[in-house]
Amino acid sequence: MTDLTLAVALPLLAAFVRPLFNAGALRWLGQLIGPVVLALVTVILFAHWSTFSEPFAIALGGFAPPLGIAFYVDRMALLFALAVPLVTLLLWPGDDGADGARRQSLTLLLAASLTGLALSGDLFNLYVFYELAAVASYGLVAGNGSSAGYVAAFRYLMISALGSVVGLLGIGLVYFKTGTLNLAELATLGNELADPQGLAAFAMLAIGFGVKAEMFPVNGWVPEVYGAASRRVAALLAGLASKLAVLVIVRILLLMFPSDEARQLLLVLGILGVVSGELAAYQARDMARMLGWSSIGQLGIVFIAFSLPGEAGLVAGVAAALHHLVVKSALFVLAGPWGGAIDRLRGAATVSALGAGLFVLFALSLLGLPPLPGFWSKFLVIGGLADAGTALHYLGMAAVLTGTVIEGAYLLRVITTLYAPPAGSPAPPRQRGSDLLTAGLFGIALLAAAVMIDPLWQTLDALAVSGVDTAAYQQTVLAAQEAHP
Amino acid sequence: MRNIATLLFLGGLAFLLIVITGSLDFGAPPMRIGTQIQAATAGDVGTANIVTAVVLGYRGLDTLGELSILFAAATAGGLVLGSAAARARPDGGFILRAGADLMFPLLLIAGLYIVIHGHLTPGGGFQGGVILAAAFFLPLLARPGTTPGHRWLMWIEGLSGATFIVIGLLALYRGDAFLTPLFDHGTLGELVSGGSLPLLYLAVGLKVGAELAGLLMRLAQDDEVTS
Repeated sequence: MTDLTLAVALPLLAAFVRPLFNAGALRWLGQLIGPVVLALVTVILFAHWSTFSEPFAIALGGFAPPLGIAFYVDRMALLFALAVPLVTLLLWPGDDGADGARRQSLTLLLAASLTGLALSGDLFNLYVFYELAAVASYGLVAGNGSSAGYVAAFRYLMISALGSVVGLLGIGLVYFKTGTLNLAELATLGNELADPQGLAAFAMLAIGFGVKAEMFPVNGWVPEVYGAASRRVAALLAGLASKLAVLVIVRILLLMFPSDEARQLLLVLGILGVVSGELAAYQARDMARMLGWSSIGQLGIVFIAFSLPGEAGLVAGVAAALHHLVVKSALFVLAGPWGGAIDRLRGAATVSALGAGLFVLFALSLLGLPPLPGFWSKFLVIGGLADAGTALHYLGMAAVLTGTVIEGAYLLRVITTLYAPPAGSPAPPRQRGSDLLTAGLFGIALLAAAVMIDPLWQTLDALAVSGVDTAAYQQTVLAAQEAHP
Repeated sequence: MRNIATLLFLGGLAFLLIVITGSLDFGAPPMRIGTQIQAATAGDVGTANIVTAVVLGYRGLDTLGELSILFAAATAGGLVLGSAAARARPDGGFILRAGADLMFPLLLIAGLYIVIHGHLTPGGGFQGGVILAAAFFLPLLARPGTTPGHRWLMWIEGLSGATFIVIGLLALYRGDAFLTPLFDHGTLGELVSGGSLPLLYLAVGLKVGAELAGLLMRLAQDDEVTS
């Protein structure tokens, strides 16, 4: 069995050497290296996923944890890690000259760091990968070349830097109180972090990692960046990067802060995210901004789901996160040529029937129309909230339902605009073939999930059972010696 | 409205930090990992400089991540600044030219010394790399007309980064975990000791040097173009 660290090391290696093959006889090698490496990583991860039996840990550098850094591999980590190269491959940036090489390098760095976020079991190592993802995405956002891109990237950089400092303070506080950074060892020290200082540390970590996860107080960058960046980059950030940041927050919550207060904090932030995101999306008149605000709302639902205790919360959260990954990536790809005011899109369905049809499919799934997967993910969240049954949970339920209604209002407004009779000149824009292909692949994945909802359910259940098993996490990581599978 | 919200947020954050700082008892932090690493370094890694053992051994993956962050920043900088062509500029003058000529070999030696002795004394790839970058940037300041060797800087950058990963992958090929130090530890405190860690630091030094030199050159050119 090939080693899983390759999933991080190979994209990094490819990113380092990608600029060298930008001209001359080896230009074709440069073009190929990114997609080939990502495909290889997908194969490696899929091989692990399909033969997975029980969680294991990798002691990097041969130093047994907690001294060294450890990777922890369970179904949840593998699933999210597998999504990274797959989605990156689907959203691979085209090549145009020297800038194309740089963009591809940054995309590879982003893929490597996101895989690292899924696998790493060390608090500071998570921070390093998170920073790598952040710096790579500044470059991708600014790399658009437009002045709006520069402004958005600068704003993003400022908010992200603030979040990073706060997150680093949180890590410092944890290290000061416990003297270790290994998540498994921190999990054994639960009661040392179960005081107000520990809760403050959790809040700081959540804000730090929450910047990319579009968490409530630190998501001001979202609409601007998604409005200014190229749609594929926006899809990559909104669809993929945010989910890996969510996964980090969930791991931290499960392992280090298994207290009700921490869960309530996440629930409150999630509710605020849903309400503020959906209301702002309703007001938005620009397609990309609307999708950006709606993505904040959707991630609020994801946070609400993960704040539910036990396996039910994990199942609901992972389902909502994966659903949003597929749907929002596809919507951003479809929105590529549909930038600017939504009114401009009158009659777009007559120009591009397939594009409009796919948009309707994804919008309906986002709303939660049965039998599309979006229905099941919202159903799980609502059911979990009803079971938990405190006043705060009922408030969360009200927020999710109200959010869905608002969502319905603005998505149906777009759909009716798309299918309205054309307003004459200028003709509404149409998608490129490659974008339609990408969105079509996402659409097939969505429909396949709708058909195979039962096996999917069982997989998620198994995933959640091992995901909440923090005792197994501790034993597996702390028992990992130099020899590893 | 937005400003008020930002102010409230920052005020809350400041209050939180003050309260936390006030409530921590400084002076006796728990040293779970620290003491273990101090005790184990000489036997496990074999470097006289314990910091190096942590940077390249115990937390080698973090260092690879830091290298990648620097690379991402340089690449993003290149994307924003573009590849401006060198232009004819006024000469730096005799004093700067002679000074740069004089300094170049000294900086080179100092930088390489700090890189190569990173596993023995304070210093290492990051610190030495910055001095190397200064060594190559100084002649450009003195003779602004010369075309900087962007191409070979790029090759050094790419290949040294690749070397770091390949050394890590060699361990994988041998059956150990990624980034396990290769070779024997040697005698503690000797120049040739610490296994493959000095090689890793050399790769770090070259990569940091090439990256910073390239970034500085690009900034200097861009400054010239826009002003």
